[in-house]
Amino acid sequence: MSAAEPLLRVEDLRVEFATEDGVVHAVDGITYEVARGRTLGIVGESGSGKTVTAMTTLGLTRMQGAQISGRIFFEGKDLVALSDGELRTIRGNEIAMIFQDPLSSLHPLFRVGDQLVEAIRAHRDVSKAAARERAIELLGLVGIPDPARRVREYPHEISGGMRQRAMIGMALANEPKLLIADEPTTALDVTVQAQILELLERLQRELDMAIVIITHDLGVVAEMADDIAVMYAGRIVESASAKVLFGGPEHPYTWGLLRSIPRLTGSREEQLVPIPGTPPSLISRPSGCHFHPRCPYAQPDHSRIDPQLEPVPGEPSHHAACLLDASLRARLWAELHGGATPEEARASVGLPAPETPPAEALR
Amino acid sequence: MSRYVIRRLLWGVVLLIVVVALLFVMFYVLPTADPAKLRAGRLQSPKIIAEIRHTYGLDKSVPEQFWLYLKNLFLHFNLGYSFYSNAPVKELILDRLPATLSLVIGGAIVWVVTGVGVGIISARRAGSRLDRASMGTALVLVSAPEYWLGLLALYLFAADIGVVRIFPGAGSYVPLSSDPVKWFTSLILPWLVVAAGQAAIYARLIRGGLIETMGDDYIRTARAKGLPERTVVLRHGLRSAVNPVVTILGLDIGVLLGSSVLVETVFNIPGIGRLNYTAITHADFPIVQGTVLLAALLIVVANILVDIAYAYLDPRVRYS
Amino acid sequence: MRSLRTILLVVLTAALAAGLAACGSSSSSSGGNATTGGAVPAGVQTPLTQSLTGGKRGGVLNEVQAEDFEHLDPGQSYFQIDYQITSATQRSLFSYLPNTFKEATPDLAEGPATISEGNKLITIKIRKGVHFSPPVNREVTAADEVYAIDRVANPNVANPYYLGYLESVEGMKAAKGGPIPGVKATGKYTLQIKLTEPQAPIVVASMVLPYSAPVPEEYAKKFDAKKPSEYGNYMVATGPYMLKANGEGKILGTGYQPGKSATLVRNPNWNASTDHRPAYLTQINISIGGDPNVIGRQVLEGSSMVQSDSPAAPILKLALQQHRSQLVISAGGGAGDRYIAVNNSDGPFKNVNLRKALWAATDREALNKLRGGKTVADLMTHYLWNGISGFEEAGGYPGPQVDYNMHPQGDMAVAEKYMKLAGYPGGKYTGSETIQVVGDSSAPANNVAEAVNQTLRTLGFKTSLNLVEHTVMYSKYCGVVSEKIDVCPNVGWVPDFGDPQAVLDVPFNGNLIVQNGTNSNWGLVNHPKINAAMEAATKVVGAKARGEAWAKIDRELVEEAVVVPYQWAKEPYIESKNVAGVSQYWNSGTWDYSYTSLK
Repeated sequence: MSAAEPLLRVEDLRVEFATEDGVVHAVDGITYEVARGRTLGIVGESGSGKTVTAMTTLGLTRMQGAQISGRIFFEGKDLVALSDGELRTIRGNEIAMIFQDPLSSLHPLFRVGDQLVEAIRAHRDVSKAAARERAIELLGLVGIPDPARRVREYPHEISGGMRQRAMIGMALANEPKLLIADEPTTALDVTVQAQILELLERLQRELDMAIVIITHDLGVVAEMADDIAVMYAGRIVESASAKVLFGGPEHPYTWGLLRSIPRLTGSREEQLVPIPGTPPSLISRPSGCHFHPRCPYAQPDHSRIDPQLEPVPGEPSHHAACLLDASLRARLWAELHGGATPEEARASVGLPAPETPPAEALR
Repeated sequence: MSRYVIRRLLWGVVLLIVVVALLFVMFYVLPTADPAKLRAGRLQSPKIIAEIRHTYGLDKSVPEQFWLYLKNLFLHFNLGYSFYSNAPVKELILDRLPATLSLVIGGAIVWVVTGVGVGIISARRAGSRLDRASMGTALVLVSAPEYWLGLLALYLFAADIGVVRIFPGAGSYVPLSSDPVKWFTSLILPWLVVAAGQAAIYARLIRGGLIETMGDDYIRTARAKGLPERTVVLRHGLRSAVNPVVTILGLDIGVLLGSSVLVETVFNIPGIGRLNYTAITHADFPIVQGTVLLAALLIVVANILVDIAYAYLDPRVRYS
Repeated sequence: MRSLRTILLVVLTAALAAGLAACGSSSSSSGGNATTGGAVPAGVQTPLTQSLTGGKRGGVLNEVQAEDFEHLDPGQSYFQIDYQITSATQRSLFSYLPNTFKEATPDLAEGPATISEGNKLITIKIRKGVHFSPPVNREVTAADEVYAIDRVANPNVANPYYLGYLESVEGMKAAKGGPIPGVKATGKYTLQIKLTEPQAPIVVASMVLPYSAPVPEEYAKKFDAKKPSEYGNYMVATGPYMLKANGEGKILGTGYQPGKSATLVRNPNWNASTDHRPAYLTQINISIGGDPNVIGRQVLEGSSMVQSDSPAAPILKLALQQHRSQLVISAGGGAGDRYIAVNNSDGPFKNVNLRKALWAATDREALNKLRGGKTVADLMTHYLWNGISGFEEAGGYPGPQVDYNMHPQGDMAVAEKYMKLAGYPGGKYTGSETIQVVGDSSAPANNVAEAVNQTLRTLGFKTSLNLVEHTVMYSKYCGVVSEKIDVCPNVGWVPDFGDPQAVLDVPFNGNLIVQNGTNSNWGLVNHPKINAAMEAATKVVGAKARGEAWAKIDRELVEEAVVVPYQWAKEPYIESKNVAGVSQYWNSGTWDYSYTSLK
């Protein structure tokens, strides 16, 4: 394996589920990579396929009867092609995962320590006592005070933040090379959120692991992620380094996400504007650009033409899948950045309004 | 916890007193046969009936009889004497209890093992032919009357009257203490019959519970840890799905200990259920009283045990 | 889905097979001449033709019975399966040979009783050389008879019938369990009983009942002092068998476990030369409980088994089809009867013509069919029955040739005639009162009650039918005079011993109506002329003379149509192939342990 090879490289991954109502196109041909020790943020609303992407990486969608195509290279091995048994030796060992709700993700009837011990012994042939010591050590590592006592407690007996720390400790049990964190802070208070993010950053530094952080909240990844991929309806619609993306986002959906989060740098008076409408059904997706029914700048032919993820002119590492002209996008962003509403921005660049107002199109 | 148990036990005692009182009321108010008249035979003067009433203490007022009964029960642990055999009720009950315990507890083991086993397999293959076949069979077994199943089992498999003569038939029961091997073989058919309907219920319960549990977040966590699927299902999944089963198991055993009369009759096992049934037909009030009281006690105890087991099984449950 | 279907198919096939085997087809029953009363199907045994001698000695008999015993103490026994035990373990003064219900044979008594002083003094010599079983062991003397009779009046013993037959014994009415002045041992082996009324025939006749079995006072007294008496749990035997006992003589828990089992073993102190019983078997193991359908099959298909209760209907069919030689049917004798009691003292049925109208209108054959048909029932045409003195004189099986008795399928024309005679010219009852009908709620009795109710309505009566549990029917309604029940369609009588008085006196003598106790004259039959005739007949001595006297009363009862008779019961019993069972004709036909042997 050459030094240039990324730790994880996902190529044209597609995941589909056959249901009674039709085929769910959960992930529809995405490609991304994560280098060792780096952090990738995958951002999108719920239902955009970001969790399925992560679960597929761990091989957890297989047993739900998913149709998977494409490749997931982890240290050069294609995980999609591995047997269940081989995948299991990687899962929880070289790739670990933490989840959104630590209370429901921990088994309510087992002691915290026992759940850690189990994670350790799933991949290491160590005695129970040794595993227990390691569990205490891990709880200490993730910043749980008095870990020797906490191992004996049940999940309901400790606070939400402690639970997520315990989850992280459990994920770190076998010093994974890649940690997938699926909405790790969503269920937590704001102050605890920051602590958990700090913890993740510290652990990344100390253990030199790569992190894929999945969130609907661009604010979460703003500080932490090196690279960002924005997902919509099973596809990546924009990807770039964090610095580039926040400097000049190219996709109207990204603009919407940015406007829908409290900006640490923004003024208090700035209004939070959610993106109108809801994410589309992954069974019958809108034609053309999947985002067009919600896009304030959609033009008539956008419902026919399927945009491809293409480099932004002059920025080879910045990709976007948008049918609007690049220069037009730059002018729109400039207006929005200056505080204009989408309608004002559209008017100032001379774009006609969409045929149906976005909100109504989604009713 | 211990304070909770003590409080529950005290309530249990109150409940038992209420049961005794209810039985007295039922026995004296409802039109049952008059034990003195039954005892007296068919050609009797009021004088003899009065003498019999006196001999059996039936001439005292109902509250006085009630009080004497309670006094004997709590101070001397004495349940009175059968109107017919004049045998002490306590002795009769202790004599019959092992047979019923053997039947019910053995049956419970059979139905829990098969019910849970079938439930797991069905849940893991939900919708498959195997699943549908087992759930269909379960439906048939749940609706099949025990009496009918008992006769069927004997006509098919009893060593004396069966088509295929494999297992010891009716009347072959011997106490465990006298011959463990015979005890075991004689109970095989009764166990299967007692267990059939219950196993079907438990299988459906486990299946439903497991299917639900397997969709829970902590199952995803367990898989993400890289645990083998077997461990995920049997340790993480079953552990949660089994809790409601423990609750009804305690109650089922408690109730069955007092109501296994049909299986006891068909297989001719001299247990509590039959003792109670015969006593009712003979208006042998002391035995009815004793056996119903025992059944109530067993249900109270089963309830407390279920609560304790539940607290043990689910750390989130705490009693105060 | 193939697997599910296969499973279902297997289950259904098995069920079908079991069902067919259990029920059989109904095409080929009753091979005997059914028009003759008392007949049994060809190939079936009867108690009257069985051989009492020549059995093989030895062997263990396994007996099964769904019902438990009631009281095994000879002072209390009053139930046919209790008599099965007492007849093998206790020697009363007189007893019946298995094939008779007419004449008693001296048992503990050496010979017939001597009756003197105008039917007021009874002298009985008892046998020498009869010993009690362990732990008493000593020889039986007349004093043991005195104590046995003394204790029937002990309220702790609560003998269920003594006042009915022994009331005339001097001092009996006031007795409480202590010595009774009229009962004395006048020698070591001589018992003398003085009566205040000339009732010696019935007192002697009653001595076939188990109360006359000797009881050793020095051993039994402490048990009789208990409330209630515990002698039954410790009793000693004089017959060839005894209930297995521990060293102290305790039977309860050893030889008898209520509701579970009983074990009869040989009485080591029994001397065959003093007894008419051959006692072939070495032991009898009795299993109590079980399902009639199961235990019946066990007996038919197994070996060395008998069942003491009558087999369930499916088992009876199976036996008739495939195991005829293992079936005995006892007709008449101690098997009892069934009739519709109508209130002779109160309400519309005080009118004899209404009673006759109901009798004429009732389809008695249909009622018998509801109860199992000709195999287990003969049409009852009058009140004495086969095997009892006076039966033939009273009309035999055809019965008195009066018009209301001659149409067993019911005849509305005859019924109408009596309705008109009763004062209802339209042939239908026009009174406004509601007739209270109380019946037994369990099948098949409930069907009989409903059929009778229907007949009453056809005759124009307004009725109210109340079906209750069997024992409740007697103890709360039909046996309670003050309830004034008009019609009790499910009553029947089994006599205590084979004397015509025992058949007719209690159910139909108005002087014996018990106002506040348990009344067994369910029809409240109270006709002074008949009452007087019965009082006179009680004093008649000698089987033939008594038979003639009571046959006359029977005819008068039919004239008055006191109750509507429909069934002389026949009781079937089953045994395994290798059992040479002997059936007790006097005890409804159930098995006699002292005469039965293994082939």
